[in-house]
Amino acid sequence: MEVLITGAASDLGRTVAAELSDGHKLRLFDSTPVEPGENAVAIEGELTDPMAVWSAVRGVDAILHLGEPPADLPDDELARDQALLDHATRGTHVLFSAAVDAHVRRFVFGSTLEVFDEYPDDVYISENWKPLPSPRMAVMSRYLGEGVCRCFVRTNRIGVTVLRLGRQVLEEEVRESAGDLMWVDRRDAASAFACALQRDAADAVTWSARWDLFHICAPIHNGKFLIDHALRMGFAPERSFAHHWAPTAED
Amino acid sequence: MKKKVLFLGASGLVGPYVTPGLEADYDLRLADVKPHPEGTPIEIVDVRSYEAVHEAARGMDAIANFTVVRGDPVLSFQVNTQGAWHVMKAAAAHGIRKVIQTGPQGVRHAYEPEFDIVDPPPVPDSGYYGCTKFLGAQICRIFARTYHIHTPYFVFAGLGASPKEPVLGKDFEVMRIFWEDLQHACRLALEIDAIPDYFQEFNMHSFDGHHKYRLEKAQRMLGYEPTQPWATYYRRTP
Repeated sequence: MEVLITGAASDLGRTVAAELSDGHKLRLFDSTPVEPGENAVAIEGELTDPMAVWSAVRGVDAILHLGEPPADLPDDELARDQALLDHATRGTHVLFSAAVDAHVRRFVFGSTLEVFDEYPDDVYISENWKPLPSPRMAVMSRYLGEGVCRCFVRTNRIGVTVLRLGRQVLEEEVRESAGDLMWVDRRDAASAFACALQRDAADAVTWSARWDLFHICAPIHNGKFLIDHALRMGFAPERSFAHHWAPTAED
Repeated sequence: MKKKVLFLGASGLVGPYVTPGLEADYDLRLADVKPHPEGTPIEIVDVRSYEAVHEAARGMDAIANFTVVRGDPVLSFQVNTQGAWHVMKAAAAHGIRKVIQTGPQGVRHAYEPEFDIVDPPPVPDSGYYGCTKFLGAQICRIFARTYHIHTPYFVFAGLGASPKEPVLGKDFEVMRIFWEDLQHACRLALEIDAIPDYFQEFNMHSFDGHHKYRLEKAQRMLGYEPTQPWATYYRRTP
């Protein structure tokens, strides 16, 4: 497939590109320069620039809109939040408009499990739970990005897959840190995008069948976030953070 | 002592017809980006500027946000989505506990063929107006829950003056609301102490005769009734 990856300069973007480079032709889109690897071309542009986005989208089979914030955000808190909001709402709208116009069949959006921050840690959270995002822009903007995706999928023949990602880390780098129920190894998160890429739902008659949503988190023993739905999609995480979340004698 | 209300969008298509019905009961701070059509003094406040909204909200008891941009691919996001964020952020910063927000019937279009629609989840399409207002409503909902800001959200379409005589041989739009009814709804929303879960969407119109978008929730929570019974407007020639 020919695949467009947004936020390609981010840590996640580079990991996803590495995951997909063998077997797909990649277009790596970001507002900051990206070093293209094998089977890839880099496209520098703003997500809110319709012409730049149209050029990037035309001819691709699928879009992986990682949802990662741009690297060049302002230092000022208000300006940063305004930029994040614009990127997640207008930027996603511009991208989705181009995707629909270009008859792209698959659209994957990266959201965050932090939309469940308000729930206590002693419950199991699945995709059936209602998000209760905080006003913190890093979280709220991802939730609003999901909303833009829903606006488009209802009336357009495009398959949309939302991945709510846990907090991305590398397992070997957090060995000495306090455990976090939301952790996901970035390499496993990237593999989830590869799984989602296989989902072809554009021809489904009802919008609810064109849409699906998965929680992407490490297979933590007795974890808070249930990932059964993602496992059925083919998600096969390799890092379980067993050093932090091993079964106890009481289990 | 009158409550102080910041009215954003005072010079728009709705504001000049609503604020006259509020002036007697509230101390209004009228604000917009353009002059009032009748020359009424207003403060220039652009909701795209957080600093401007924050300053205008200082000392207020409530904010009524009637700003809107419908079809522009950039301005609709800046006014309807980012503007809603600025309003709620300013309300939170000042400890303001009441915000009236408005949205289009478009977020309910998917239900149009149905009847007895009371409180469905919004299902906007990807058009700039409906999508950006929907995103603004989500922001309001998040801030209302987090900061305990009571936020009635009025959904309507097709505003105008009430007819002076019964209208013969034609129907009204299903969410049309007359000015005096919207004034009445605003007064009720400003006076009510609390609404459940801090955020509620209300169908808001002047006719329940269609039995389509029902007013039951606005009646129950706000005490809203159209000033004239709907049958007043639907009289066939004897």
